[in-house]
Amino acid sequence: MLPSLVASVPTPPSIFAGATEALAVLVLFTVFAMLREALLRSQVKLYALQSLAVCALAAVLGASQHARDLYALAVLSFVLKVVLVPAIVLHLLGEAEVDLAGSHRFGVATMVLAGIVVSGFGFVALGNVHLGLAGSGGLPVAVLGVAMATVLVSFVLAMFRSDVVSQAVGFFSMENGVSVASLVFAARMPLILEVSFLFDLLVAALAFGVIMRAHHRRAASLSTETLDQLRG
Amino acid sequence: MQLPVQAVQALQVLVVLVAAPFVSGAIAHIEARIQGRRGPRVLQPYYDIAKLFSKETLLPQDASWFFLAAPVIAFTSFLVVPMLIPVLTDFPLPLGYMGDIMGGGLVLALGGFSLALAAVGTGDPYAQLGSSRAMTFGALIEPSVLFVVFAVALITTTDLPYAMAAVDRSSLAQAIRPAHLFAAVAFFLVVLSDTGRIPVETHVSTLELGMIDEARGFEHSGPAFALLKWGAAVKQLVLYVILVDVFSAPWGLAGSRRLGPVLLAIPILLGKALGAGALFALIDNSFSKLRLYKITEFMASAFALSAVAVLVLYLGSG
Repeated sequence: MLPSLVASVPTPPSIFAGATEALAVLVLFTVFAMLREALLRSQVKLYALQSLAVCALAAVLGASQHARDLYALAVLSFVLKVVLVPAIVLHLLGEAEVDLAGSHRFGVATMVLAGIVVSGFGFVALGNVHLGLAGSGGLPVAVLGVAMATVLVSFVLAMFRSDVVSQAVGFFSMENGVSVASLVFAARMPLILEVSFLFDLLVAALAFGVIMRAHHRRAASLSTETLDQLRG
Repeated sequence: MQLPVQAVQALQVLVVLVAAPFVSGAIAHIEARIQGRRGPRVLQPYYDIAKLFSKETLLPQDASWFFLAAPVIAFTSFLVVPMLIPVLTDFPLPLGYMGDIMGGGLVLALGGFSLALAAVGTGDPYAQLGSSRAMTFGALIEPSVLFVVFAVALITTTDLPYAMAAVDRSSLAQAIRPAHLFAAVAFFLVVLSDTGRIPVETHVSTLELGMIDEARGFEHSGPAFALLKWGAAVKQLVLYVILVDVFSAPWGLAGSRRLGPVLLAIPILLGKALGAGALFALIDNSFSKLRLYKITEFMASAFALSAVAVLVLYLGSG
């Protein structure tokens, strides 16, 4: 019998911190899943899943803070990011009728390795910052690194894949990463600001929709390899 | 009644040795039920092994002495691992300090290596293809295993499987911390790959070109083949035990050497192993096998999971 098996173990994060960090890492993993996913429709569905995790984060934080703003934010982003934006993109994809699968410029394993490298950079770059946020009531500061990693891996997604849908989804998931970061250091941001961010996202969705339609009409494809055909 | 510590130690190995074919048979039965078939008897693997032991041994023309030694080496190495991991008790037995997680991995790899070497020696092209693939994919999944071990080491400050299980049990905060969750999921994917399950390999396939592990035993026959099959069942149970008793559900183990709790731990262990096996069978029947050149994508996902598990720990949190 060895009584000291757990004696010298470093203390784990609290249950709240552990659960929220796990949810945040889940947001990061959906981007990795998008890197791997070949079908464009499944990519959009993964984005909906990712947004659901972000909503859950806002709701959990709202429950721990008893903050009505955060509940409202969770509901609003659910309607917008889980239902509306994916529905718009899926509808546009239905019209396009070509390109079930996006084009890979690089192998999946290469992209995932690049993703691991940039997310490692994100973790290390922001993991140990001391913002004096201990009493601010947001998510644990460690989540900031995860949010940064999400933004960077979304960049990888948008850069390494050459179709409009992956780039749009990469942009949207970048916004999700920023939302997670805002839950860390500005959890009690006035609701009107949060709503304006969400409105921004809607504008971006529309802009990407216009690009997708225009591009598809000209080139009969969603691949950005032929983007130069858009020149007048 | 207090059991002598040697008896508990021996019982750990004995349980794995005797119960492994039962677990394999039960999982095959569950799998058949999922597919709407009646399936073989749960005890079928025992009959298969007994039948093979009474058959004669045929040797390929080019086989060396190692061809017959390999199944014995593999079988022995797979049986060494239950001494190192928590099978029945939640406290380390004396031989538990013989090796850490890396040691266990090394011993398992020795078994796989000797089988691959024997397969190469036969001159059968399919066996050679299988062993070459088994080694390649074994090497590709290894980084994930390493990072899981790193995560365990950072969480527990040791690399003993017993310590990992004890830390999981110690509090809910330890059990749901992201590093532990993602290391556990990464290890789940490693087990998926190491037991020859979909999406890496179809273990019931008869198509030689898609085979990885299965092809290695093509030239074996008689008692050697029986040991090979039994060894495969033992390896599978050992991996399941590590998955449930170290990473995901280290509850229900005996807390003392008294006869009652130790005996009670056996059905609990088998129940947990069957639960894990049923999950694997469900995955086996809900996904399709990956093309050979796409398997690296699966390995990359497992590696991403384990690498992020270590990265969140590196932040000093997680």
